[in-house]
Amino acid sequence: MSEATGYFVRRATGLVRAWSAFDAFIYAFFSVNFVTLGMYIMSFGPFVPQGHLLPAAIITGIFVTFLVVVYGGLIATMPRAGGDYVWQSRILGGGIAFVLAVTGWWFILWHWVPIYGNILSVQFFAPILATAGRGDLAQWFSTPAGIFVSSLVVVAFVAYYIAIGMERYAKIQKFCFWGGIVALGIVLLLLLIGTQGQFQQAFNREAARLFGASGDAYTQTIEASRKYGFTPPPFTAMPLGPSILLIPMVVFYLLWPNWGATLYGEVRGASDYRRVFKGMFWGLWITVALSVLFFLLVAKTMGWEFYQAANSNYWATIYTPDTAPKLAVPLWPYPALLAGWLVDSRVFQVILLAFMSLWFWGWSGTVFLSSTRVIFAAAFDRVLPEWAAQVSPRNHVPTGALLLMVVPSIVVSALYSYYPGFATYTLDATLVIAVTYVGSVVAATILPWRRPRLYQSSPVARYKVGGVPLLTLAGGVTLAFLAFNLWKWVTDDTYGVNNRQSAIYMLILYALALVIYLIARVVRARQGIDLAKIHAEIPVE
Amino acid sequence: MTKVFFATDLHGSEVCWRKFLNAPGFYGASVLILGGDMTGKALLPILRLEHHYEVMLQEHRYVLESEDEVQRMERRIAGHGYYSVRMSRDEVAELQANPGLVERVFQQQMRSTLEHWMALAKGKLGGTPVRCYVCPGNDDRPETDEVIVQSETVELAEGRVVEVDGVEMISTGWSNPTPWETYRECSEEQLTTRMAPMIAGLRDPGRAIFNLHCPPYASKLDEAPALDRELRPLQGGQLLRPVGSTAVRDAIMRYQPALSLHGHIHEARGVARLGRTLAINPGSSYEAGILQGTVIEIDARRGVSTYALVSG
Repeated sequence: MSEATGYFVRRATGLVRAWSAFDAFIYAFFSVNFVTLGMYIMSFGPFVPQGHLLPAAIITGIFVTFLVVVYGGLIATMPRAGGDYVWQSRILGGGIAFVLAVTGWWFILWHWVPIYGNILSVQFFAPILATAGRGDLAQWFSTPAGIFVSSLVVVAFVAYYIAIGMERYAKIQKFCFWGGIVALGIVLLLLLIGTQGQFQQAFNREAARLFGASGDAYTQTIEASRKYGFTPPPFTAMPLGPSILLIPMVVFYLLWPNWGATLYGEVRGASDYRRVFKGMFWGLWITVALSVLFFLLVAKTMGWEFYQAANSNYWATIYTPDTAPKLAVPLWPYPALLAGWLVDSRVFQVILLAFMSLWFWGWSGTVFLSSTRVIFAAAFDRVLPEWAAQVSPRNHVPTGALLLMVVPSIVVSALYSYYPGFATYTLDATLVIAVTYVGSVVAATILPWRRPRLYQSSPVARYKVGGVPLLTLAGGVTLAFLAFNLWKWVTDDTYGVNNRQSAIYMLILYALALVIYLIARVVRARQGIDLAKIHAEIPVE
Repeated sequence: MTKVFFATDLHGSEVCWRKFLNAPGFYGASVLILGGDMTGKALLPILRLEHHYEVMLQEHRYVLESEDEVQRMERRIAGHGYYSVRMSRDEVAELQANPGLVERVFQQQMRSTLEHWMALAKGKLGGTPVRCYVCPGNDDRPETDEVIVQSETVELAEGRVVEVDGVEMISTGWSNPTPWETYRECSEEQLTTRMAPMIAGLRDPGRAIFNLHCPPYASKLDEAPALDRELRPLQGGQLLRPVGSTAVRDAIMRYQPALSLHGHIHEARGVARLGRTLAINPGSSYEAGILQGTVIEIDARRGVSTYALVSG
């Protein structure tokens, strides 16, 4: 039995008590975002016709758990560091860190803005306007002008979040979290108590009332899909091979439990590591569980074939408009919209959609927050000019970082909306962040040997499996998982990014980051600053 | 042009102190400035049992069989910035029952560790042209100053004007009130009063360095996780709040020194421009043995020419 006691502390600044793991969970759960990202990417399921989302989500959850182990380890080893750029720069060096982090957390997030714009359009503007009887306006939001306007709304809101500061944004986030949870609970409840017959009736009623559809729109949707060439498989068919091919899509929402995770206060030990791990782990797995429940309820009430057919038909109108079937409901088949139709009340439906949009509003600020952190860190390291990290003394707004995000985001959003083919490049959005993750995971994997003092002083050093550091083991599994996804993205047509233009575009982004770093090295050297020494360790002896 | 290396909030980490002393050779600095909070926050008893020792570090129990193992553990504990004391079961029980005794043991450990640090400084910097200034912070007991004053190589900077290669510098480690009621805290008005005579003693405040442990209020150099009454970070630490000093901010805005150096808030590493003043908080990662700091080139006539935040 142990006799050793813990430790004694004295009066000293920063000796905070452990925070609630539930708070960490909320942030991770919101970042994975079952509704905004999850429901959106699930609609791409028919692109792998024989695949099934349910096993894909579970398998992805298993592998992303290893990513959570890795990031939990990095966070506990270097608390308060703030993310990939700092971890990579301290373990791999400033140059690699800058190129990977700047591309993954700055440049590519310009491309997330029109993706967010598109999601806002299909999950907020279009369904609410259609429900309010303005089907014409709803459909306008799927036009180039509509998506561009939606993207501008995203930019405006996200810039506002940055401007008001973390304290107020965190409060907004918490409100959005609970509001969104209540709304999602209602959607799931409707799907639970509704029958398929009631849903068919509701769908046919609303399709006729809102869009003038005639006849059995529900059945027509499934038949139109078959005619188009996609025969939705039954829910019970879950072949493993094709389902695995859905993983590179499913990571669009399940890859982010570590987004923004950090650790404040003095590290007490393993319990801090476990707390960080638990927050991300449960954020991930509650989302996976929700996904499974959602799939089951969709299959029960909407009908899996209908859900898949509706998704297939919608995306056909976007990617193959010439051969696409005519839609009974010419909107993205937003599950919250469809479930809301089970209650024959306009007011209820609009309120439900408005509350469901809290999933979007509460989480959207992360698109610039992560970028702002990287821009600040790079400016403090003198790779970027000082003005990039400047904060207005009057209103405390980080004007430089906002400028570096807002202006390119608007340009990219315009190109996305108006320049045919540019949207393909935004499909690289997940890929590029995955590459940045690779950098951090490599850093974690080699940490025990690359920075032994740092590793040994961390609470994760005591975790080993068969003599191998847990961090290294989890890093190896995560690298294999990320490599699989990267390989599929760059070689398989299904994911839309395996083309020459996309590759060139991505390389340009990486080259731009490299050029900025090299210029900074030269300019700073002339000023007497050796950037190579910024992250180099001072000898101890 | 003088190259200055500034670091802060080492909190007893011997690894960081040794790195600090090696910074002149590494960065080519001729002046070392250490902001406040040199002393450690935690005390770990190494329990002396009949045939072995036991210690809990980072919530893990270590059984130490030999003197060599104990010494290695003591170095490891010091690397984290904690103090270790070999004790019997009865002595530990006495500590647990007597907070006053804990304070006294802390005091002894701080003093002996600081004396050891001053000896290390003498070994590293003695006989070199490097000047080293130290200004204890709000977490440092008043006795800290007594140890530094006795050093031949380290100069105590608290409460006075010192000249750094022609650039004047004022220093104080006092801070505005914190939830922990530490040793050097006072009201904003008292902080203003504390700084006033030093500022009055400057030839030209606009060309000086203000080495003030507490960062200026709402400068982004002072954003700390908001805490509840139980001192738990709110919302998983995501909710940040400015906790700096308005007195420090007012002094900077009024006198516009060329450079202001800060610490106190470990996670608020950064740089801010407050009017013409370049304000820097290099942050602290002492518990990981990483010495965060800043390298600055400054000139009495032209002010700051370059700076860089470093993680050594």
